[in-house]
Amino acid sequence: MAGRWLRHGRWQQVSLLSGRSSLRLFGAGKGEGSRHCSGSASLQKTEADPGVTEEEIVVPRKKTWDKLAVLQTLASTVNRDPTAAHYMFQDDPYLIPRNSYEYRLFSLSKESGKNAARYIVNEFPRFFEKDIAEPHIPCLMPENLAPQIEEVSEAALKERIQLRRVKASVDMFDQLLQSGTPLSLETSNRLLDLLCFYGDREPAREDQSEQKEELEESEEAAPDQRKRRGRSWKTSDFIGPKWRENNNAERIFNLMPERNAHSYCTMIRGMVKHGACVRAHDMYTDLLNDRHTADVYTFSALILAVPEVKENYIERWELVEDLLKHMVQQKVQPNLLTFNAVLKTLRKCGGMGKGISLKILREMKALNIEPSLATFEHLLGIFYKSGSMEIIYEVMDEIEGKTFVAQDPDDANFFVSAMRICHSLKDVELAYRLHKVLETGDNWKLIGDAQQQSLYCARFFTLVCMMEQLDVILKWYKELVPSLFYPNAQVMWDLLQALDTANHLEMVPQFWKDIKQLGLSNRPELLEEVLALMAREIHSQETQMSFANCAADIKSIFETRERNQVPLGWTASALGNIAILFSRVGRIQEACNMLELFKRTSRVPSDKVMNEVLTCAKQSNTPHQAVELVKLAAAFSLPTTAKLARRVIEEFELSEEQKKTLEDADPQSSDSSDSDSD
Amino acid sequence: MEKSCLRYIAETIKNKWFIRPAFRQFCVIYTFSLPILSSKTQKCFSTSTGFYNKEDESATSTDSSGEKASENQEKATPGNAKKNLLNIISEMKVELSSKKTFQILKTLKTKEQTKDQPESMESASSMFQKATADSKAKRSKPLNPELVEAVSAVASSLPFDRKQTVSDLLAQLRKHEEATDAQKKGETTNIRSQRIADMKIGKRRLTRGVSRPSSQISFDDDDGKVTCFKLVSGVSFFSYLESSPSLWDLELANQIAAVNQKPPRNGFEEMIQWTKEGKLWEFPINNEAGIEDDVEFHEHIFLDKYLEDFPKQGPIRHFMELVTCGLSKNPYLSVKQKAEHIEWFRDYFQEKEELLKEIDDHEKETDISLEKKSLSK
Repeated sequence: MAGRWLRHGRWQQVSLLSGRSSLRLFGAGKGEGSRHCSGSASLQKTEADPGVTEEEIVVPRKKTWDKLAVLQTLASTVNRDPTAAHYMFQDDPYLIPRNSYEYRLFSLSKESGKNAARYIVNEFPRFFEKDIAEPHIPCLMPENLAPQIEEVSEAALKERIQLRRVKASVDMFDQLLQSGTPLSLETSNRLLDLLCFYGDREPAREDQSEQKEELEESEEAAPDQRKRRGRSWKTSDFIGPKWRENNNAERIFNLMPERNAHSYCTMIRGMVKHGACVRAHDMYTDLLNDRHTADVYTFSALILAVPEVKENYIERWELVEDLLKHMVQQKVQPNLLTFNAVLKTLRKCGGMGKGISLKILREMKALNIEPSLATFEHLLGIFYKSGSMEIIYEVMDEIEGKTFVAQDPDDANFFVSAMRICHSLKDVELAYRLHKVLETGDNWKLIGDAQQQSLYCARFFTLVCMMEQLDVILKWYKELVPSLFYPNAQVMWDLLQALDTANHLEMVPQFWKDIKQLGLSNRPELLEEVLALMAREIHSQETQMSFANCAADIKSIFETRERNQVPLGWTASALGNIAILFSRVGRIQEACNMLELFKRTSRVPSDKVMNEVLTCAKQSNTPHQAVELVKLAAAFSLPTTAKLARRVIEEFELSEEQKKTLEDADPQSSDSSDSDSD
Repeated sequence: MEKSCLRYIAETIKNKWFIRPAFRQFCVIYTFSLPILSSKTQKCFSTSTGFYNKEDESATSTDSSGEKASENQEKATPGNAKKNLLNIISEMKVELSSKKTFQILKTLKTKEQTKDQPESMESASSMFQKATADSKAKRSKPLNPELVEAVSAVASSLPFDRKQTVSDLLAQLRKHEEATDAQKKGETTNIRSQRIADMKIGKRRLTRGVSRPSSQISFDDDDGKVTCFKLVSGVSFFSYLESSPSLWDLELANQIAAVNQKPPRNGFEEMIQWTKEGKLWEFPINNEAGIEDDVEFHEHIFLDKYLEDFPKQGPIRHFMELVTCGLSKNPYLSVKQKAEHIEWFRDYFQEKEELLKEIDDHEKETDISLEKKSLSK
């Protein structure tokens, strides 16, 4: 019997248990006919009999686990692999990015693939009705994006607001208005929320917007970082559609029979969000006239709008101060975002920001509001502008060892700005401290998007290249590339300089490979630098061999570029350096080909190049090449042609014919030599 | 007339040998009709036979002897009777074994002296058949005929309009069955709407889940609310803010959460993300996942606590125990639905409470008379 029980499912087993317990109770009953009685009947009988029913079945409580506990523990055991690309690319080895371009392309492709799938699922929900998952997985099912209620009613309006259909909501509102249906204040306010938040434009759908944003971002993220930051400083982070005058939000606001504080607040926030800052402040005056009070977010928005309203630094601060006083009057408790808004505004108040910002910090402390990273970022920004960057040491003392969570959308900017200041101060120790803070706890999450992360790493690594020994530099290089960032041309340039300083130029070919892989081989300045460094001094034979291979590689890049019709013009120095590198390892034919290229691209080789090649020709004992060289020099009408010709005549065993050609090639030189001898 | 009728019913109810088979059958059918996994049916039998060891002989004879009994009845009882009584008797013919029918009819005769019963009885039985036929026609999916029979047996034990009782009980059972079926198979229309509802909830939950890690958001909100509450209490917009977060609040939370959101760095973090999105079985693996959120299994099984409002003994109690027995084996209904199911019966029987009290009185009488009878035998 027991075996049979075991085979049955959980449900059955327990119900059986319950059955058994009741059976036992039967047994405890008086006996006569109790087996035929219903359970309760016998139960009542036993209840009359004290002591028997004392025994109570205590069902043990189920232990509850956090659903993430196991996974979080496991995840904490995995460290970053510095040699691998980011985890998101590890599905397919073919799609592992090797440079920042591919990184962006592949991550965007992955994201847009997801969005495309989601779009299809939402667009054609009828093909995705089948729900095979158990338990049900809501996020894999099509979302309901079409309004269900057709009739004209407040419920329909609410539904459209819920679905964030801006235009449909406005239409529904107008229809309701025409039919004379009164709307509740709450629904009107919800509608205003929607209109103000999206600035009376249809919001991009969730499955489309993200991609767009990222694309925009990647476009913006083009090398000119300064421009981008400058813009975000100038305006109050205003991106997106502008607030139009008399748009639907204003129209509906004016049509509303009664308005409460929320109606005003949402209008103000919408106006600030969409750049109508002056109007927002006017609206605030209306709010005051209507004897309402604003909420804390509205005040934050108003404070952010101040720089757009007033031109003068002093006037700006006065307005902010006024607003803060209003908050006190209206008994609105400020929060972190309010203070961050004040500091953000102070960044645009010139030199006077320094003193006030410290006062603001004290105020925060008095109110027991813990500053977030954005607070520090604004602080650094204010002091950076006025040239006193030393405040970062105090900030660093403050944040060291702490873990932060995002509390303000601006929090993600902190690490990049702080690293910029480290870079400006050329303080590598400070940079290490900052990096340590980043690695504390979950702070790495606050480094911002991929763009900010790579900017941070680039600044950090550049600083390290500047200040550290080569072995430390290489350690950091291995640590950061390619798992955290893909160096840009500037970073590689700095690295080459560091190699030069450390006198380890033999490592250049190794980094040339990295440069190629990073997709930087189309940067002429980098190619020039690599060639120049390699050609500058004479190294051991082995190194020279690898240099020559490297040079051949670079030459092929120039040539393929030519074929692809991407202009990557030869320069005299590039041609010369390659020729030198070839001639140093005795690849005379290739060196001569380079000289030919000089002719073809009408560049003029330097004396050094000619001499090096000539030496090479002598070493390989090819008088023919030597004569060709002199001919070439004559064709370029180089001033050193005569010297070269003389060297050839002296050093090579030439046939008569060759001698003659030499003299033919440069009759002047013989003249001049004659005159010299005279 | 009605009083006498009730007395009769009380007597029949008291006679457990008569009632029990019907109940027993009902129990078996009831549990069978519910979508229990096939492997469990055996167990149903074993439990039910555990309750009723001795009555098997009588139970087996009921069906075959039903028609005979009705014939006998028609012959035996002439004259007119009121509908209630007729219903009961017509029902009786279905369930009683012939021998017992005779016995009961005898007692009926002696006690009530009803002379004009048979005619009406005939008409009543036909009426009953019609009624069941009607109700069958109405149903899209006919209930198990055995189940119908059992229900009618239960109904007969109650002193009300029998047809009404039968149809009420059947309706409830059918509803129950439909619900079970729907939840088992996933009825398209229901699920569709349900799915939409789920999705909305899921989405909101997701955004909240995302925003939660940044504890400051909640701190901010609290902060705002507390001060609002303290200082601006009574201002109308506050209550509005309280009711639900506005679009602004939601989007601000999303924005801040987005700062914290990073693509997973390893497989485990990806699994964490999937868990948050609800795509993955939660660890530790729990085979009750998705059945019901915050209900433990024992609440599905031990339903006795819902029976407190029912009489402590008697046929209703018995019936309800069988209902709970069946429900406890049904994995497709939620605890709430089960409780509602039982509640419906409670309300139903409470409506009829007065009548039931009268029955109680009669029970006592008949008890005595039966004892006397058995003694005399």
